[in-house]
Amino acid sequence: MSALLWKPEDLLAPPIVKVYQRRFLIAGVVASVIVIIGGFFQPRVFFRGYLISFMDWLGVALGSMVILMLRHLTKGGWGMIIRRIQGAAMRTIPLMTVFFIPLIFGARYLYIWTQPDKVSDPHLRKHLEEVSSYLSLKGFVLRALVYFAIWNLLSYLLTKWSKEQDTPPVRDNSQRFKVLSGPGIILYGFTISFAAIDWVMSLDPSWFSTIYPLIILIGEVLSAFCFAIVVERVLFNYRPMSELLKPEYVHDHGKFMLTFIMVWAYFSFSQWLIIWAGDLPEEISFYLRRINGGWGWVAIALVLFHFAMPFILLLSRPFKRDITRLVWLAVWMLFMRYVDLFWLAEANFSETFTVTWADIAVPIAMGCLWLAYFCRNLSSMPLVPAYDSFASEVLEPAHEHSV
Amino acid sequence: MKHTPVYGLMAEFDNPEAVVHAARKTYEAGYKKIDAYSPFPIEALSEAIGFHYNFVPLVVLIGGILGGLSGFALQYWIHVINYPVVVGGRPLNSWPAFIVVTFEMTILFAGISAVFGMLALNGLPMPYHPVFNVPRFALASKDRFFLIVFSSDPRYNALETRRFLESFSPRSISEVPS
Repeated sequence: MSALLWKPEDLLAPPIVKVYQRRFLIAGVVASVIVIIGGFFQPRVFFRGYLISFMDWLGVALGSMVILMLRHLTKGGWGMIIRRIQGAAMRTIPLMTVFFIPLIFGARYLYIWTQPDKVSDPHLRKHLEEVSSYLSLKGFVLRALVYFAIWNLLSYLLTKWSKEQDTPPVRDNSQRFKVLSGPGIILYGFTISFAAIDWVMSLDPSWFSTIYPLIILIGEVLSAFCFAIVVERVLFNYRPMSELLKPEYVHDHGKFMLTFIMVWAYFSFSQWLIIWAGDLPEEISFYLRRINGGWGWVAIALVLFHFAMPFILLLSRPFKRDITRLVWLAVWMLFMRYVDLFWLAEANFSETFTVTWADIAVPIAMGCLWLAYFCRNLSSMPLVPAYDSFASEVLEPAHEHSV
Repeated sequence: MKHTPVYGLMAEFDNPEAVVHAARKTYEAGYKKIDAYSPFPIEALSEAIGFHYNFVPLVVLIGGILGGLSGFALQYWIHVINYPVVVGGRPLNSWPAFIVVTFEMTILFAGISAVFGMLALNGLPMPYHPVFNVPRFALASKDRFFLIVFSSDPRYNALETRRFLESFSPRSISEVPS
């Protein structure tokens, strides 16, 4: 192996990340105290916002894990440059596990199936009795334990093997990464599908759609890509990222963003087309709720600003290659991811368009805590594993890389 | 002395770094009518010879839009104008059902535009091209990289240009008869 192009200590995240960590922590603690007080008085409202917020931030963490595994399987500079950013986001899974615990206690405010005896509609009550072997609080908790166990294990192993590449003796872990990542992606597909059904789709226990978990899944991967673009933009102001991030990588990230936006649109539209064409009472109720009472405006906004606008912008090659412009779309898409989850979940609770204080405050509070933890993770490992043999592609100076 | 018209001067390199370097320096030296050939695509090479933009994306965009519009129009014409049949109480203009075909037509037309647009903008098919007069040029589809300075370039001078290209120490330099 040739001499190291960069020393690992030069590849550490810039000190400013520590400053951000402190700021996010302070903001997160203050905001959390406020929302917890609010939640004390209005638990029903609080947990609605909490669920949407939880799904949103969980998406960034899990999506990062998937992209990381995808990179281990496919290689490529695009993934190496954001590998440790996604690793840091993935290592927030333990935090998300903790954030799940309140949902167990809040379940009775959110899920009608926790209290079937309080349902007045006889059809619905009969249906709930039929599905009670699956939709019960005990099953809800046990299944969540399995999901989080799998996610935490994947995250733990990927991190452990990645850490080994930071210090000599040099160890080639790429084969182990591959062996884990293939099954890992499949496991993620299954677990997130069940989790999406348990946590979001079961808000309306009489409605079902087989493509629904995939909409959640692809949204998570999209969130994670947008998040990585935002972080690489912030780090681009400082060494070492200012010297490592090349337009080719940004271009690739932009292409991925376009792809996942199109897949999201494809899944969302497929669900709409099939349900619209079938026009069955037990299925169409989902969309009737979401296009009436003001929710239709949100639906149109999703079509225009979660698909059409970013799609048209991302067709442009110069736009995709310019991190200073691409980042604004990434920020926007992170917001639209939240709007999508809000539209999917909140319309279950209110027939008319409503935004509660919790819908805004809880994502901010949870997000600040999450970001503080992310910053801590980000500064704990170098931004690129210097001893990884595949890292040389990224670590070579730009002019030698021109071919 | 018999004088055959010259198409340009061609330098041969055996690695991509060398041809990109030579191309960049040649362009910087003021030669604008140059071209380069390689067995595989090299993005930096296009940049180096000052080839920044091409119109294939625009052709693809127009093709895609036309395809999408025609796909939708086709279905609208059939279902609303030519042969209106009410299916399951849905409106005649059932646009959600039209989207799939509209999307496929967009992709189809964009794809066809990409292929034929690329061929047309490259001036293909082209039965005769002077570069093939140099026998070694056959290696351009194997493992050699070529840079050519056209004689139509205002700065072209048979002697000076040859000397200039020699400064990059290529494997060979050939005069390309037109």
